[in-house]
Amino acid sequence: MDRTSQGCPSRWRDNTALKQQHLPAHRLQLSATKVLSGFFVTGTFCLGVGIILILSAKSTKEIEINYTNICANCAELRENTINFDKECTCSIPFYLPETMQGNVYMYYKLHSFYQNLYRYSLSRSNSQLMGQDIMDVGNCDLFGKTPNGTPICPCGAIANSMFNDTIILSYNLNSSIHIKVPMLSSGITWWTDKFIKYQNPNSNHLPSAFAGTAKPPFWPRAVYELDEEDVENNGLVNDDFIVWMRTAAFPTFKKLYRRLRRIQYFTEGLPAGNYSFNITYNFPVTRYHGEKSVVLSTLTWSGGRSLFLGLAYTVTGTVTWLASFVMMAIYLARKERMTVFPQQ
Amino acid sequence: MKYIKLYISEGSKRNVLPEDLRQTEQECLQDNRTRYLQANNKKFNTTFGYPNNAIKTSKYSIFNFLPLNLFEQFQRLANAYFLILLILQLIPQISSLACYTTVIPLIVVLAITAVKDAVDDLKRHQNDNQVNNHTVLVLKNGRMEEEKWMNIQVGDIIKLENNQPVTADILLLCSSEPYSLTYIETAELDGETNLKVKQAVSATSKLEGNLNLLSAFDGKVKCDSPNDKLDKFTGVLTYKGNTYFLDHDKLLLRGCVIRNTDWCYGLVIYTGPDTKLMQNSGKSSFKRTHIDHLMNVLVLWIFLFLGSICFILAIGHSIWEKKKGYYFQNFLPWKEYISSPLVSGIFIFWSYFIIFNTMVPISLYVSVEIIRWGNSCYINWDQKMFYAPKNAPAQARTTTLNEELGQVKYVFSDKTGTLTQNIMIFNKCSINGTLYGAIYDENGQRVEVSEKTEKVNFSYNQLADPEFTFYDKTLVEAVKKGDRWVHLFFLSLSLCHTVIPEEKVEGKLVYQAQSPDEGALVTAARNFGFVFCSRTPKTITVVEMGKTKVYQLLAFLDFNNERKRMSVIVRSPEDQIMLFCKGADTMICELLHPSCTSLIDVTMEHLVDFATEGLRTLAVAYRELDESFFHAWSKKHNEACSSLENREDKISSVCEEIEKDLMLLGATAVEDKLQDGVPQTIKILNKAKIKIWVLTGDKQETAVNIAYACNIFKDEMDELFVLEGRDTETVQQELRSAMKKMKPESLLGSEPINNDFTMRPKMPFRIPEEVPSGNYGLIINGYSLAYALEGNLELELLQTACMCEGVICCRMTPLQKAQVVELVKRYKKVVTLAIGDGANDIGMIKAAHIGVGLSGKEGMQAMLNSDFAFSQFRYLQRLLLVHGRWSYNRMCKFLSYFFYKNFAFTLVHFWYSFYNGFSAQTVYDTWFITFYNLVYTSLPILALSLFDQDVNETWSLHFPELYDPGQHNLYFNKKKFVMCLVHGIYSSFVLFFIPMGTVLNAVRSDGKEMSDYQSFSLIVQTSLLWVVTMQIALETTYWTIINHFFIWGSLGFYFCMLFFLYSDGLCLMVPSVFEFLGVTKNTVSMPQLWLSVVLSVVLCMLPPIGYQFLKPLFWPLHVDKVIDRIHRMKHA
Repeated sequence: MDRTSQGCPSRWRDNTALKQQHLPAHRLQLSATKVLSGFFVTGTFCLGVGIILILSAKSTKEIEINYTNICANCAELRENTINFDKECTCSIPFYLPETMQGNVYMYYKLHSFYQNLYRYSLSRSNSQLMGQDIMDVGNCDLFGKTPNGTPICPCGAIANSMFNDTIILSYNLNSSIHIKVPMLSSGITWWTDKFIKYQNPNSNHLPSAFAGTAKPPFWPRAVYELDEEDVENNGLVNDDFIVWMRTAAFPTFKKLYRRLRRIQYFTEGLPAGNYSFNITYNFPVTRYHGEKSVVLSTLTWSGGRSLFLGLAYTVTGTVTWLASFVMMAIYLARKERMTVFPQQ
Repeated sequence: MKYIKLYISEGSKRNVLPEDLRQTEQECLQDNRTRYLQANNKKFNTTFGYPNNAIKTSKYSIFNFLPLNLFEQFQRLANAYFLILLILQLIPQISSLACYTTVIPLIVVLAITAVKDAVDDLKRHQNDNQVNNHTVLVLKNGRMEEEKWMNIQVGDIIKLENNQPVTADILLLCSSEPYSLTYIETAELDGETNLKVKQAVSATSKLEGNLNLLSAFDGKVKCDSPNDKLDKFTGVLTYKGNTYFLDHDKLLLRGCVIRNTDWCYGLVIYTGPDTKLMQNSGKSSFKRTHIDHLMNVLVLWIFLFLGSICFILAIGHSIWEKKKGYYFQNFLPWKEYISSPLVSGIFIFWSYFIIFNTMVPISLYVSVEIIRWGNSCYINWDQKMFYAPKNAPAQARTTTLNEELGQVKYVFSDKTGTLTQNIMIFNKCSINGTLYGAIYDENGQRVEVSEKTEKVNFSYNQLADPEFTFYDKTLVEAVKKGDRWVHLFFLSLSLCHTVIPEEKVEGKLVYQAQSPDEGALVTAARNFGFVFCSRTPKTITVVEMGKTKVYQLLAFLDFNNERKRMSVIVRSPEDQIMLFCKGADTMICELLHPSCTSLIDVTMEHLVDFATEGLRTLAVAYRELDESFFHAWSKKHNEACSSLENREDKISSVCEEIEKDLMLLGATAVEDKLQDGVPQTIKILNKAKIKIWVLTGDKQETAVNIAYACNIFKDEMDELFVLEGRDTETVQQELRSAMKKMKPESLLGSEPINNDFTMRPKMPFRIPEEVPSGNYGLIINGYSLAYALEGNLELELLQTACMCEGVICCRMTPLQKAQVVELVKRYKKVVTLAIGDGANDIGMIKAAHIGVGLSGKEGMQAMLNSDFAFSQFRYLQRLLLVHGRWSYNRMCKFLSYFFYKNFAFTLVHFWYSFYNGFSAQTVYDTWFITFYNLVYTSLPILALSLFDQDVNETWSLHFPELYDPGQHNLYFNKKKFVMCLVHGIYSSFVLFFIPMGTVLNAVRSDGKEMSDYQSFSLIVQTSLLWVVTMQIALETTYWTIINHFFIWGSLGFYFCMLFFLYSDGLCLMVPSVFEFLGVTKNTVSMPQLWLSVVLSVVLCMLPPIGYQFLKPLFWPLHVDKVIDRIHRMKHA
């Protein structure tokens, strides 16, 4: 090294591992054993996870009642916009054969309702919903202002099309005693939505805070009158409103409506027996060839009764497992082709 | 016309009157091919509007940088495409993505390039300023004054001192040295470091630095308009009514440095941008690689694919609007300009065009540039390509060709200085029919020279060069005896050359030779007692056996490539006029007097012997001239020298008149040793199926001998074919008979190629690779090649040559070298590489896909024109098999992955559109779209393309077979691209439907929302990022710490960005832009998200792994076997 360090010091100092491409490294080689055992292990793992998921999903209970056609007369009434102020109720009795243990959640489910259309999902004003500027109708487009120029609050196609059926579940102990199942409308939204993303404008008196704005055209009441029972649950922080505003990814979706308040008869959940849904039918679905249902469900750690993940894991596991055997067979049969190396 | 006549009419003594000047100005201005100027006459010179001496190599100024740089950048197709896209996005009716998704990446890409351009330009600005503000002495009003370089004007007289750089192209007027000689070094111009001598015209040298005379000097110069030919200059100087002829020997070019000369004065001829240095710069031709072309084709394919996808989706949208959207109008009315579903479909087509823009990757070109630059740096840094004796590192002079180094199929090599060391050693000679140099022992047996062999003692000669060795004592004895022929022989060697002597230390002569052969010969003459001491333009001083003799130099007939000889005519102290001639033996033989026929035969035999030993030979001859003949010739010669048109042709025909009836003196043989490691390198390159052709100017025997010595021809070859016909028919016959032997069935005329070339197709086609019946070699002579390259024969030639294992082309002119390269390049469609060290190799270096220059003894011109440069031939194996192979593999991996990740990313939108009414809804958050290519996925692949090594360098040199995939373009081609597309489609399918199944009808464990759009987006983008990251992890075979850092760092960074972009603060600040508030907090903790990610990764990764596993089992490639074997050996 003496010779070189005298002759050309500048170049030899560059002799770093990076520059000479000698960085210490680990070589990743997928040898046959690694690949085959990897397939085998992955297959087993997926199969195991799949079975666990299926079992836990099966342990939940779910009842879904599609009331589009059951309440046909109401549907017909809503077909025509002229009848918007006529009330229509409909009662759907059903029998619960087994007790639904634990927390029970009630959902409404819409079919073929496209909350994910690009123009639909844009049609909202976030600064209005945050209570920052109630007059800001941002992207609301057609539902931004009334024909006479008053800004709508909450504006936009999403808010305007809010689901407005009222569903009341009653427990029929016998033919005469109908107990209204106690339900909570709180705690059905994300914390961040309820406390940050949706805020009422600063004011002691809600109606005056919304002064100067109009209600969305399809709404029967103004935004500060959404919940007549709970004064706090009004305006832009109304739980049902927030749930609706979180637009669904697919045209068929269910949204949390109420959760069971576990008191009196219902401390253990919903006991078996006769029940009925009393529905105030407001939301028109037949006009766009859609349907709507109401769903009662219990949950486990993996959510509701959705079997997809479990099945997908099981199928993947099985196929991978089989594939590892097939590949092993092929490998053993054709190994020679690889290893025979012609000597020159 | 008067003016021109005035100057051309030779010897006219008429003074030019001012009126004449004014009249002729108009004519001068019209004739813009000639330059006119007068010394010390500013008024006259300014009428022509010559530029001043300021140079500007910079492109931009502060004010025009932004517009000019942007304009240049948007000329690139990719950038222009994204600009158009940006404009589309600004149209509200079709905008489907926030415009920052395009703006941010575009700005980043433009900014990176702009910063690079700005830094480069800043350096140039600094250089320009520094150069322009140098000072030089200028003659003004009879005094020398300091002036900045940039203020120098045409017609000024400037003074240069020792070691000063030359300010502009100047005409040498006078200097401190006798005869106004001036020595210069031209390293900056052509890289050559030996001194060159320039001499002033006799008339001006009389000015002798006298300022009064110089101020009065009013010579007029008429010369060529500015051009880029460094070695060509013709002009006429008119001074005091006499005309003097100027050539490049009188011109000092900008960029040279004055050496060994105290001072000199010069007249400025060309300034600033007109100088030959500036005219030569910045005109490098731009080479593009095969991958570049492929990339352009693929981008076009992507466009078509993009168009058809958008078309399908637009149709889908129209149908949906008709069936569903129409009835959904209650909740979402159509816009007023949408009159029917069809119109809506047309708008949606453009909306989807915007969404799918990420299929054409914006960062592709920038990344490719970065990768190539990085891989070039490795070549510059490589210690194993660093030649310590010369302190010369390898250089990647072009940073755009790296991956092509991994695809080379043909190597065209020069011989001298490339395969050999170009260190010339005087080895043998034949004088008057006697052979000297071979040594015999007592028994008369030939002895090989070894360390122990006794050297000849030159101590009798005080001036001998101690480093010179010679073994044959008989030659010294002959010299001492005073053999007339031997004396004449060495005298001619000491007189006939262009060497410049330098006495750096008192009494120690050093020769500055332009070619090493000359140096070797003059040194030999010196050691045998004929010491060349000094030269002036008129005399040559030689110490002959201790006696100093001065020969008058009467004429000097220079060497050039066509003449292949040089001569001097001297008057000896004995008042005898003699011509000495030295040159290629074939040339000299034709000029000899008939009386030496018998001597010719003997000498020819010796020459053949020399050549078979691989020695370079020259013949030496002389002629005695009588006074009157010489004077007659001298007059003709002067006339030829002073002609302005076709001067060179005229001179060479005059020269031929006197170079005849020569008497042969003998021949010299100079040894040029092979460079270290050449045979091994060629063996390895052959194993890598790289064909090596040697293109040399040497004669056949020498070339063939070298070819055997360095493994290009092998003893076990079946046959060597020689092409030496001197007309088209013979050459054709030779070619056909060779073809017949190698492949008997091919000459039946049914070959498609034969049909093709009779039809003379316009488009060049590809000649397929053919397998001959054995192992053959081919030798092509330069003169036969001239016929073979004519018309129809070139294809036959190529076919034959390509079937041979080794090809030697000898007696080649520089142009022919380039023609051969062009021929192979045109019809074989493979990557060619040319390697050489001399100026005669520049043609082929520029013609080949890759030009490699060796910095050798013959100057640096080859290097300056090359793409890669180093100093030893053996580094070629490392350049190709290690750097080239890695670069190619890395680039292919990069492209495959890059296209894949963009397909997987973009096509998810396609699947989603079936569930959102084809409404141009994106799956991802706009911020994810913005950052995906730019931040989240760019660094891991960059790390892979800079650090990956499938096998290490030792193995790639040990198994040259590994080089094969590059030659056949196996790792990235159109088929691979389609596979990337299919893989991308599959991944996007999995990446959409697994998350979809997961969220559809699903709820979180606390009953709340999960099937909302924002959670779904988050699941898809997280799965996508895991999948593409795992894919790159699978592709990475060489995990350095940097790879780990980038790969896992990118994933980590993604999660950090999620928390940042979806945080409360940002949303509160700009609620309309950061809509995804809280999604991370609510979704990352969900088991469903992780189950979906794991399942997506498993489903996306297993098929490629399985394919990689099974492919070599079903379709085993040779490379796979080699790699498998390497892996086994490592484990063993």
